[in-house]
Amino acid sequence: MASKIKTSSTAEYFAKNLQQVGFSSPTKAVLTTLKETVDNSLDACEEHGIQPELSIEIKKAGKGGARNTDLIEITVEDNGPGLEEAMLPKVFGEYLASSKFGRGQCSRGQQGIGISAATTWAQLTNATGVKVMSKTSRMRKAIQAVIDVDIKKNKGVVKKRESKDWDKEHGLKVTFRIDGRVQLNGDGGLLTYLEGTTLVNPHLALKYKLLDKDWVDVDRVSDDVPRVPKPTLPHPHTMKLGEFMTHALLYSNLSLSKFLKTGFSRVTDNTIKDFTKHGLPKSLLPKAVGKLAESDFKKAFQSIQETDLANPSTRSVLTVGEESLAKSILRLGEVDFFSVNTRKPKICDFKPVVVEVAVARFKDRGAKAEEQQAQLLRFANRVPLQFDKSACAITHAVESVNWRSYGLQQSRNSIPAGPYVIAVAVTSPFIKFKNASKETIDASEELVDEIRRAVMQAGQKLSRHLKREHKAADLERKLQHIEKFGPILVDGLCRITGAGKQRKEKAEEGLKKILGRDTKAAEEDLQVAEERLAVHKARQKQMIGIEGESEETPQTEADVSTKKKVAKKAAKKKVAKKKVVKKKTSKKKVATKKAAKKKVVKKKASKTARNKK
Amino acid sequence: MALMKVRESNRNIPKDAKELCDRMLRDLEKGKKPLLEAIKCSLDNSFYNPKVGYLTPGKKTVKTELNVSSVQKLARTVFMLEILLNNIKTGAVNTKRELYYMAKGLVKSDRGFKALDFEEQTESDAVVEFICDMMQVYREEMNCFANDRGGQTYSQCLSVTETLLDGSKTSVDLANLGTAPFQPKNRPQSLKLKATKKIKFCLVVESEGTANTLVANGMTRRNNCIVMGAGGVPSNAVRAWCKTISDQLSVPIFFFGDLDAYTLQNIYRTLKAGSAASLIRNSDFSAPEVRFLGILPEDVRKYDLHCYSVNDKNASEARSLKKAKDALENDPFFRDKKNKDVSAILKWLIKEKIRCEQQALFSVDPKDPHKTEKIILDKIKTGSYV
Repeated sequence: MASKIKTSSTAEYFAKNLQQVGFSSPTKAVLTTLKETVDNSLDACEEHGIQPELSIEIKKAGKGGARNTDLIEITVEDNGPGLEEAMLPKVFGEYLASSKFGRGQCSRGQQGIGISAATTWAQLTNATGVKVMSKTSRMRKAIQAVIDVDIKKNKGVVKKRESKDWDKEHGLKVTFRIDGRVQLNGDGGLLTYLEGTTLVNPHLALKYKLLDKDWVDVDRVSDDVPRVPKPTLPHPHTMKLGEFMTHALLYSNLSLSKFLKTGFSRVTDNTIKDFTKHGLPKSLLPKAVGKLAESDFKKAFQSIQETDLANPSTRSVLTVGEESLAKSILRLGEVDFFSVNTRKPKICDFKPVVVEVAVARFKDRGAKAEEQQAQLLRFANRVPLQFDKSACAITHAVESVNWRSYGLQQSRNSIPAGPYVIAVAVTSPFIKFKNASKETIDASEELVDEIRRAVMQAGQKLSRHLKREHKAADLERKLQHIEKFGPILVDGLCRITGAGKQRKEKAEEGLKKILGRDTKAAEEDLQVAEERLAVHKARQKQMIGIEGESEETPQTEADVSTKKKVAKKAAKKKVAKKKVVKKKTSKKKVATKKAAKKKVVKKKASKTARNKK
Repeated sequence: MALMKVRESNRNIPKDAKELCDRMLRDLEKGKKPLLEAIKCSLDNSFYNPKVGYLTPGKKTVKTELNVSSVQKLARTVFMLEILLNNIKTGAVNTKRELYYMAKGLVKSDRGFKALDFEEQTESDAVVEFICDMMQVYREEMNCFANDRGGQTYSQCLSVTETLLDGSKTSVDLANLGTAPFQPKNRPQSLKLKATKKIKFCLVVESEGTANTLVANGMTRRNNCIVMGAGGVPSNAVRAWCKTISDQLSVPIFFFGDLDAYTLQNIYRTLKAGSAASLIRNSDFSAPEVRFLGILPEDVRKYDLHCYSVNDKNASEARSLKKAKDALENDPFFRDKKNKDVSAILKWLIKEKIRCEQQALFSVDPKDPHKTEKIILDKIKTGSYV
């Protein structure tokens, strides 16, 4: 039996299981290919601090090989650093060849599967791999080649290599020809993908042409290239025993205590002492990791799990930022009102996570949009998620919010209705996806709760604007009511009492006077609401950098919260100052004690600063 | 043409209504908000007075002041009041449903009323009830009558005399009706009753079917009694008819129905002490002398009657159990010590979680068609009632 067992290469596995990585249908194949190419371009630009400029062209090049498919040509050109010649087969033709695998960074790509899978799909459906043109700043001429995947060996194969003149200083141009079908709109549409990518990448300048439509230019709204925080070491509580042992292999020459300190975050000499209190034999600590037996690993692992550790650092997460998000959302269409919200980084399931939400109401979505469900854009590490919506943590969180309390229409436990876009971005160096094609974020309780909080905050901000609308509607309703029922009431009373014309006129005047008081109160309410909005508008203009007066400027609430925070801080400071003054006048002894304490704190602070340096 | 009075009262409703409207108009002329006040007809404003034996209203009122939100309600009130006053004037009589359609007809014929259109009958019903509560008049006094439901009455010793609108009188001897029942109209207070023989008791049976069975088997032939079918929750007519029998004939009245919380709370309590919704008319629409003959818990034990269990996992049954508990805590009728025996039955039902139907007596001796009658007579004789 044993002689029949054979080992397959990784490429062979993926070639047979491309549906697992987003190539389950001709429509998805086009989107996934585009997505993987764009992700790589954006990651490369960010790593090298380049403001990305992308040009995308998708066209039908003929009939596809398979039934009911077209031959689709996807070309993505960027101004990134370009790839050295030796790297081309690795990047495009080899599975799991990645610079980002498991390093704990908020990059879009993680495993080094996606782009190789796209090459495989091109190869399987059109018998040719990917055409790449690359130029780095060190090259005089660009290199153009076709890369295929050697499926048996999981290696990239370079074909038709030639040097070419390219007027770009550096960059990469990738062309896939694949069997596929183009879907422009809807959840899984290319336009939805491009809109989403534009939204969460304010620093991206994009130009695209889809099929026979005209070229569309989307300018960047932020000149700041996001700095992807440095990778973070894994937290020991996020690992299983097997992972722990595999991780240890990388440090086999080090002693166990050194491995624990250098291989993990949040492990110090003191925590190692705590491990020993929880059952880690001291004798194991000086032993080399490579010489530890399986039972030793188990003991070490168990004691670590038993010990309470500090939460992992949240420094490794990256945010788009409220300001950039606010500017970016205006690129999606004519926005009536929007609110953005960036939460502070949080630890969910021992992983640092940051959630950002943008909710916008659009003017140009048509009358039907009032009744239709709002558009939910989901993002994981700034990559749009377009499939398997119902199982996603973001969908769960959005559906669990009571949007009616913010003035939106909503059927029970569903996405609210109306011409809104609700964009939720989850960023984390360790996002837990439900599948290898990274279409859905796993809905753990802690994560759903954190997303829900972020969405609720955005909803609360949105409701302030809607309240003004409700007040205006209320005033209108009241005025209509008076006009409708007032005269009928007086008429009826006159008929029953047999009152004459004079009494009738007097009563009508009296009625207007009485009801006028009510409408006056409503008018005052409306005025107050409008004044508040005017203030918000002015702040919003400052925020997104629009100058001059314009009534059409969309309104936001984000800055209000920041200003409130600043005001709160200032108030706290004031209180603190007052306290200090009070305390100064109190007993001298207390003052000297405090001074002593402060000194200690200062000393500690300077020590930690030195350590960091 | 005026109808016969539902109760003895010196009130001139059209005059009162005109005065009310005049007051509203005067307020409007002065630029003052007219205020309409009605007695709050709800359980939290209900008091059980053991001396009179029915639920009476407290001091709580529902005030409606004219403002932007209430202008529609007031306009509709005046609109409906006009229809009702016209009915009183012409002597026409309508049901609530008919009033709803009459309002719709007026809206259709005069576009000026368009804004007042009622979409559902519940809207026009609420306006009619508000008018009655505000003016403290019975719906029947506004010539609005419900369908004659329940109250089929059988007796061999009762004669009923009715005074007609023209003042002439007509008498019905129930003994001459054969198998047909006598059914009181919506104004039973205007009927004069006379016992042709000495009547021993009046039996009000929850199910009209069971009342029919008892009569068909000869109960009224063998006994000098009145047998009446309530037909479920007693209508105003049934309630007023019981009161008329109680007041005019001074005979003991017994209620015979199911042993369950619903019957005790909604049928027996309403018949005996009125309801929270009809606080202003309970004095004329309740018969405090009615006693609960059964089915009693002791009958269940004595005759080993078949019972159904009340499952609190079933939504509707759980709801009825909860209502029974609420009644014990909040209903002034059940809270009063005068009715402690009835409350004890309710507590027993909650505890045992069972219910027993009145027809269960037919299981005691299925071969004897008179067994149920015998049990009822025995219960009356031995004082087995509360």
